[in-house]
Amino acid sequence: MASITTEQESELLIVLPGDQLPESGLMEDSSAAHRLTLGPGLAPMDDDSITAVKAGILKHNAVGNRWWVESNQRRYVAAQGESIIGVVTGKTAEHYKVDIGASQPALLGVLAFEGATKRNKPNHNIGDSLYCRVSMANKDMEAELECMNPTTGKADGFGELKGGFIIKVSLGLARRLLDPKNLVLRLLGQHIPFEMAVGTNGKVWVNSASAQHTILLCNGIRNSEYLNAAECVAMVKSLVEKM
Amino acid sequence: MSRLDRTRTSAHQLRPFFSSQNLLNRADGSAQFDFGESSVMCSVVGPSEVKLRDEKLDKATIEVVVRPLVGLPGIKDKAREQAIRETLEPLVLSGLHPRTGIQIVVQTMKDDGCILATAFNATILALLDAGIPLKSILGAVTCIVDNNSNEILLDPTTEELANAKSTHTFVFDNKSSITSKEEQQESVDVATLYSDSTGLFSEEEYFECAQICYKAVQAVHGFIRTAVQKKLEKEYQQIHS
Amino acid sequence: MATPAFTFTPSTFQKLHPAEFFRRFTTEGVRPDGRLLDSFRPTTVHHGVISTANGSAMVRIGGTTVVCGVKAEVAEPRLDAPDQGYLVPNVELSPMCSSKFRPGPPSEQAQAVSEAINRVLKESKVLDLKDLCIEEGKAVWVLYVDAVCVAYDGNIYDAALAAIMAALNNGTIKVSGGTAANDENSFKLKLARTPLSATFAIFDTTLTILADPNVTEETISDGQISITLDETGLLCGVTKIGAASCSQRVLKDCVQSAKKRTLQLRGIMNQL
Repeated sequence: MASITTEQESELLIVLPGDQLPESGLMEDSSAAHRLTLGPGLAPMDDDSITAVKAGILKHNAVGNRWWVESNQRRYVAAQGESIIGVVTGKTAEHYKVDIGASQPALLGVLAFEGATKRNKPNHNIGDSLYCRVSMANKDMEAELECMNPTTGKADGFGELKGGFIIKVSLGLARRLLDPKNLVLRLLGQHIPFEMAVGTNGKVWVNSASAQHTILLCNGIRNSEYLNAAECVAMVKSLVEKM
Repeated sequence: MSRLDRTRTSAHQLRPFFSSQNLLNRADGSAQFDFGESSVMCSVVGPSEVKLRDEKLDKATIEVVVRPLVGLPGIKDKAREQAIRETLEPLVLSGLHPRTGIQIVVQTMKDDGCILATAFNATILALLDAGIPLKSILGAVTCIVDNNSNEILLDPTTEELANAKSTHTFVFDNKSSITSKEEQQESVDVATLYSDSTGLFSEEEYFECAQICYKAVQAVHGFIRTAVQKKLEKEYQQIHS
Repeated sequence: MATPAFTFTPSTFQKLHPAEFFRRFTTEGVRPDGRLLDSFRPTTVHHGVISTANGSAMVRIGGTTVVCGVKAEVAEPRLDAPDQGYLVPNVELSPMCSSKFRPGPPSEQAQAVSEAINRVLKESKVLDLKDLCIEEGKAVWVLYVDAVCVAYDGNIYDAALAAIMAALNNGTIKVSGGTAANDENSFKLKLARTPLSATFAIFDTTLTILADPNVTEETISDGQISITLDETGLLCGVTKIGAASCSQRVLKDCVQSAKKRTLQLRGIMNQL
């Protein structure tokens, strides 16, 4: 069971490392022939085949003939352009050292903030939580972060997260939380008003009017990972009732 | 023919599999794999920071720690560490995570024979759970040649192992199955990832064991696929319902 | 005027790109040390090199030298095996034999080789441990078989196993004192078989198999195959570790080559 047939595409198409993608399926879009974009979880091998390198669901987007594997893991590997939540662990004259949950701490330039100049630098202390964007990620180097939109130079919501509470969830759950239609967040929002920031590195910051509510929200988010829609409704209901 | 453990009826039957992924809260990936009453738990941390002394500039450093059922690790465990590490090194795409470390801890939970094969299967499940990029997956099975009947028994228990003339452990990847399907021959030329045989045996016996184990490993591959599928379906049920 | 191409001497090339340097040789069918791909290094065996030991031997395979001594001591038997002695093999890779090894507890490689040899001796029933019984439940012989690597240049498993087997083969246990009838009797160790091995290195990218790898070949190779055979051609152990590409055909070829090699090695060992 190594090759994948495209007929199965209606349901979840699970791939394991070593599974080869059929060449015919990859080149189905004749107008974009020989143009192929491989996303995470797929890699060309020595024998010129396209092989899955992670276990997950094979996904395809006809625009640009993009193929990738949707997989879940807990360890973050920095990727450029992603919004993440980090904690300041060190400070030098030019950089903050930020723990983003990857193999190495990331660097955040002290001037990579909205309106920051050599004379007017933001002041963050060790232990502060920051919502920021990965401006450069290279497998051989430490990742670099910034706290502003690089095109406009505006903060755009990036910056320090004051108050609240941060929980660590799997990267897959974090991505699902970013879905505007996410069920558990809608359900929780019906009972408790709250604000949150989701980092694709699996860190989720939640803030609400009271600590009690915040803890409830965090538990609700954590519990939702392996539940279906009906179970989610019941879970949120029981959490709110106990409050 | 009935086996010594009385639950199996054929010499080429494996014990029931069991597996569970994502068991440990603090590890990046973890899994348990059972062959009947043999059980191994494995945890994976990485890609994470690595000691400067062990850092490799062009790839990730893989460290394997094998913990025995009781007592302190001995030379047997060291030999197993080497076997698991050197088998995984060509499989893991470690070039994608240079200057990092991948730590794998293998802990025996219950021992009823075939611990090395069980450990290999637990390790691959834990690596899949951790999302470490791999070239392919692997599957491992042990078989023995019985001292009295000269028959090849797959997946022996401790009791059966005591009466073995020779013991053979094989690891195959899921890539070799491609060539086998095309060839459709009786004896397929399969790529062996790891092979370890002791005891006294003839050349013919060795290659017969390899063929039988190769067929049995296909069942292990199938099981790993189902296990991963079940986990993914659970994760994505909210989106697809 | 064209600028001269970037050139360097062969020794610089070897240091910069050991794998590529090596590949250039193997594609031509030879190795940097002049051997063909399937040839083993010159091997010598010396028997009885340590006069104070009960049995000893020194084996040289190319640049690898292993000295092995067998020491017999009296000990209490295990409760679950009151009529059996002990055989305790150990391979030592000290910093003396190569800068690869650090002082301190035995390295993983040393432990793995010791364990591999221990299993071959035990599983293929080289020595009947009941022969080592002095009095059941009271006293048995324990044989400490220590193989010390004096110079390390790869393929320690073949060298250590050959040295251990040669040392056990000339092992004599002297029993002094005892009953009035004989004040000194001695017996030679009876070996059921003499397993010897041949090791091969595998290279994934070029699919090359090299017999008897030396230390540089070992470090750049992707995996190893070790095949252990007794004098009747029966296999006592097959180990294949590392390297993703190794078909059954390759293993079959290695078994054939190992049969020839162990026969040759047996010839060398039996010359006195």
